[in-house]
Amino acid sequence: MADTDEAAAHLPASQDSAPQIETDLSDETQDFRFLNNLAFPSDSSQTSLPRRGEKDFEPNPTNYQADILDASRHAMHNALSHPRLHHPKHRVIAYYAPDGPAPPPAIDVTEEKDEKETATNDNNEHNLTKERSPETGTGISVPEDSCVYVPNPKGQYFKSMGRADRWNRVWLLPEEALYLIERGSLDIRWPVSVTGPTAEEGEEDLGIPMSLQAAYACFTGRGGLSVERFSVYTGLRRLGYTVIRAPGWDDESDEVQDEDSAPQQGLGIFGRFLHWLHNWNKSTGITTTGPVVGLGLHRSYNDIYRKLAIIPYHDPVTRQSPRRKTTPPFRVVFHVYKPSTVFRKSAPPTPDFRIAVVNSRTQTTMPTQAQLGALLESTPLDPPRGEKMDRMMYMRLRHGYRNVILAVVDQGVVSFLRIGDAAFGKEKVYAEKPPGPKKGGFRPRPKK
Amino acid sequence: MASHPTSTPSPAPEVAEAASKNKPTQDNVCPAPVRRPRPQRPNYRHIHRFPLPLAVHPLPPLIPHNPLSIISVVLSYLTYLISPPHQELYSAYFDSNTSSVHITDDKTIRALWEMGFFGKGSLSRSEPSWLEREKKRRGQFGGKTSEDVTRERRTERRELKLERARMEKLVIEQRLQAEAAANENGNASPDLEADSTSNGTATTAEKFSLRKAREARMLGSQQSEEQNSVADPGNASSGRKVSTPGKTVRFSPVVQEKQFISDSTVLQLPESLVDGHKADEESLLKNEEHLQLSNEEALFLAYGLGALQVYDSDRKTTIPTSSLLTLFRQHSYFPPRSPAANLDPDDPFLVSYAVYHHYRSLGWIVRSGVKFGVEYLLYNRGPVFSHAEFALVVIPSYDHPYWSETEERRTHAEEKQARSWWWLHCVNRVQAQVRKSLVICYVEVPPPGDAQALENDIGALLCRYKVRDVTIKRWVPNRSRD
Repeated sequence: MADTDEAAAHLPASQDSAPQIETDLSDETQDFRFLNNLAFPSDSSQTSLPRRGEKDFEPNPTNYQADILDASRHAMHNALSHPRLHHPKHRVIAYYAPDGPAPPPAIDVTEEKDEKETATNDNNEHNLTKERSPETGTGISVPEDSCVYVPNPKGQYFKSMGRADRWNRVWLLPEEALYLIERGSLDIRWPVSVTGPTAEEGEEDLGIPMSLQAAYACFTGRGGLSVERFSVYTGLRRLGYTVIRAPGWDDESDEVQDEDSAPQQGLGIFGRFLHWLHNWNKSTGITTTGPVVGLGLHRSYNDIYRKLAIIPYHDPVTRQSPRRKTTPPFRVVFHVYKPSTVFRKSAPPTPDFRIAVVNSRTQTTMPTQAQLGALLESTPLDPPRGEKMDRMMYMRLRHGYRNVILAVVDQGVVSFLRIGDAAFGKEKVYAEKPPGPKKGGFRPRPKK
Repeated sequence: MASHPTSTPSPAPEVAEAASKNKPTQDNVCPAPVRRPRPQRPNYRHIHRFPLPLAVHPLPPLIPHNPLSIISVVLSYLTYLISPPHQELYSAYFDSNTSSVHITDDKTIRALWEMGFFGKGSLSRSEPSWLEREKKRRGQFGGKTSEDVTRERRTERRELKLERARMEKLVIEQRLQAEAAANENGNASPDLEADSTSNGTATTAEKFSLRKAREARMLGSQQSEEQNSVADPGNASSGRKVSTPGKTVRFSPVVQEKQFISDSTVLQLPESLVDGHKADEESLLKNEEHLQLSNEEALFLAYGLGALQVYDSDRKTTIPTSSLLTLFRQHSYFPPRSPAANLDPDDPFLVSYAVYHHYRSLGWIVRSGVKFGVEYLLYNRGPVFSHAEFALVVIPSYDHPYWSETEERRTHAEEKQARSWWWLHCVNRVQAQVRKSLVICYVEVPPPGDAQALENDIGALLCRYKVRDVTIKRWVPNRSRD
């Protein structure tokens, strides 16, 4: 068994696209020569992605190899030495609001401080009375955890980030602000309330710029943003995904999904039928000591298999009567959208992926059935449908009826695992027709 | 490079010679050995046409508007009534010293392997094929076992790798020569020349894969043949001598030696033995192999299908099914628990049997997955037809409130359920490497309950276990973007 399967790794992909993602290019050292093909500064006409070269596995004494190495090194240095500038036209200035969302200060600089204080007091009172109200008395309809505002937003990032208030300022959540400052796309200023009036010359009301270190210090740990969550967020953002907070971000709230009950009805009947079948089996008494298939004549193998099915299994389609609460690390905290998905800030569509973030140093063990079950139940039903799925049983099983992605973060290294609620019990393999004799193409080798 | 022999004239004959060296006879016999005919496979569809070791007797189809069909149905009923078909009952014995179930009867061994792929040959990798291999070794039998197939494939792959290494070496040498020549020629146009040659050969060298090596070999064999027909044989043999050191590129001494050994065992023995002692050998040769069933398989055959009776170690008394289960549960610990000791609801055997029975009842062929670091492998229809698609890891689950009632139970449950992330990633990576999907199978362990009553009702006992399976796969954000 082992020997032939080991060979399988080198065979062409068997039937459908089996897990072939395992050669992760990002794990390898790059051949930087492809950078030469990239036009600096970026030329929009050239859109084809660079191709990777082949790899030499050991040094040999040819000049040729040395030249390649040199060229690659040169390309890397060349790319690194290219000046990276921020155009003043694209500069976006934001202000840090340590006390959370607040209405704009008065225009007069001298009055700003008092104004701000009253405003934040007001806000705080509101927080106490009504925790998660989106519309406060001050007219700010932004998330509570926002702490940076951009008075003059421009650029593509604000299409999928931040939330505008009544005064047309865009409020950013800490992870959004941190991501933008990491990218160099945002210039965050300390508020005057923190630094005190800085303007000796008094020419402008721009505060002191916030350093990257200060940004990390201010924003991580704020509003439930752990380092783990941030590294997942920023990693996916950099890859082009749109990432927003899910309702399960805070510990108190839990994502609740309404599911259509139409298919459950039918399957409920089916389940009851199965149950009845079990009972009927039991009543005949053959399961006590066996044989489970019963004595006497068997008319078909399918009957035998049906009689053998005595072990109950979890059906992800039927609703669990008391919905279990998810336990903190195993809870959807991010909704992720593919770059191709059309995303609107005001009305986010159903997410492409749901991600739970786990710190592998505090949660050292993988989830138990109860934890994973609750997590999966908090996601909507996503049954394997479609032409391809109908055809391929393996694909259906791999897809599952619900799915969620676990991002396991171990000291900054993120590994993603897709969990699918498979329900093998719903796929009767014995009822599948054996494939007909194949004509041409790849034939599996004989194997024992 | 091999695909353009004209551009590099000097090494091409060497390639051809080296390639043809391994099978000179074949080259001379067949006119165009471009593709070796695939050896005839046994008709697995026919051999394994029954998925379980039970006989089924389907009724003839009943067609309402055809009275004859009714008669045929009635007739078949009558024949079954008068002479009920005999259901084969196989027998095995349980060896308590090794906690294992054995079958020594040849007919039973074949039946259980062919109908449902139960058990493992004690001297074979999987299918009990020792006798065939032994016969072949003594030159009595021409069939091919799976072990042979694997060996052949490995030899072939090793050769191809050697070939590839040789080609790479050649390219490097050639380039070194070209560079040296360019240096000697002076500074007139060394860069340009070196560049042009290196660029040309570099691409071929870089793209040199195993597939290419195979093609090169075919091409080589064709060429050598042409050469043989044109030039005189002496010339060819001298060329062969020259090419010999070319093969010792990287790991050759060891490999060549090994190859020689494996070839000699297969090929040399027959000649010495075939003629004289054939009859004697056959009578002497006794099947030394037996089939070992895993305890789960044995219980499934006995309790689920009723096709097996298990004898005691003394091979006289059969063990009834209910005590068979108790016996296996006791033996799932090491050392086996004494009959007086209480059995836990989460003992390893019960948990793994619930999983085994569940997947068998769905039609999967369930076999041990210990070689892949998992509990079970799931084959569709059987291992001779296709590779296993799913690899199953079994983890008990203690969701029932009973298990969180006392501190002692809580720690017990935690210990039993705990699996580290490192373990999970390890298993996951191994499965991905062998192109299998990892499935984690949680088995809900019930509270102990009324042990006495459950002991006598296996069905009620098993119904308390619930199976839940989830698939786990690495998600790569880079590849999921679309």
